[in-house]
Amino acid sequence: MMIPVRCFTCGKVIGNVYEVYKDRLEQGEDPGEVLDDLGIDRYCCRRMFLSHQDLIDDVMKY
Amino acid sequence: MDIEVKILKDREAKLLVSNTNPPMVNALRRVLIADVPKLAIEDIEFHLGTIGDEMEDKEYESSAPLFDEIIAHRLGMLPIPTDLELFDFRDRCDECEGEGCPNCTIIYSLNKKGPCTVYSGDLIPVGENDLRPVDDLIPLVKLDDTQALLIYATAELGTAKQHAKWQPTNGVAYKYYPEIEIDQDSCNLCGECVESCPKEVLDIEDEELIIADLEGCKFCSLCEEVCAPGAIDVSGREDKFILTFETDGSLTSEEVLKEGLQILKGKFDEIAEMSESI
Repeated sequence: MMIPVRCFTCGKVIGNVYEVYKDRLEQGEDPGEVLDDLGIDRYCCRRMFLSHQDLIDDVMKY
Repeated sequence: MDIEVKILKDREAKLLVSNTNPPMVNALRRVLIADVPKLAIEDIEFHLGTIGDEMEDKEYESSAPLFDEIIAHRLGMLPIPTDLELFDFRDRCDECEGEGCPNCTIIYSLNKKGPCTVYSGDLIPVGENDLRPVDDLIPLVKLDDTQALLIYATAELGTAKQHAKWQPTNGVAYKYYPEIEIDQDSCNLCGECVESCPKEVLDIEDEELIIADLEGCKFCSLCEEVCAPGAIDVSGREDKFILTFETDGSLTSEEVLKEGLQILKGKFDEIAEMSESI
């Protein structure tokens, strides 16, 4: 669905960098390097990005 | 308890706490998590029914792809800039006694018509403009071309004891200050400890094993295990600690630390007073 506002485990705000992350991935950058650059250091926060699937557009039709 | 500041950025802090013991540092850690208050959105009013647009002569449904509860929950998680000097707890407010007034609440409005993505930056504070959410690019919900959202939200002070949305800090942790003893006489400079260390704490310089980054040590003891002559001894001091924490941006790390220490002092004063009356 939508990217969660905060990391489930530690509570760090992650929603604010998701759009930047998505854009940079589309330009062919390596996800790990982008996350390093955006200051997403802990593995709890990193998995929020790696395991996220944007389903809102599919759900919106209904 | 002595505190030496190593890093004190807006959203990040690293402190050296010395002349103390684990229970004291843990008390400070818990206060930083659960007792320092901040603002968060608590009450939300959704407009129901159709939302008209006179300019376009078009009617929008006041529905969204996500349930209202989920949108409300996402709004609650947003970091709201907090000035602890200005705001009072709503239920303890002298001005309004819980009714809601500029001293204890901020009212936000959100009015968006699809198709669009609704961001945290679309929340407009009624009145003062410098109270906009700290990050304005947090996606909240997406709307299609028939949908619109009209929301009034009220933010108030609270602590993380009530709900985690009022938690100003995250990643609050302390560790013992590391002590690494190297017996230079028995060290044969094989370099296996340097290889094994995941944090690059050790290094070999000028034919001598040196400690390159002592504070990076996380006590995994891999260097101790791989050292054949047994020249390395890793331990932690029980009177000195490294305390690190981050904030979500609603308060700066300096404000959180100052407020946390005040609260801790208040708690100790309370205990001292109670013990005197026994």
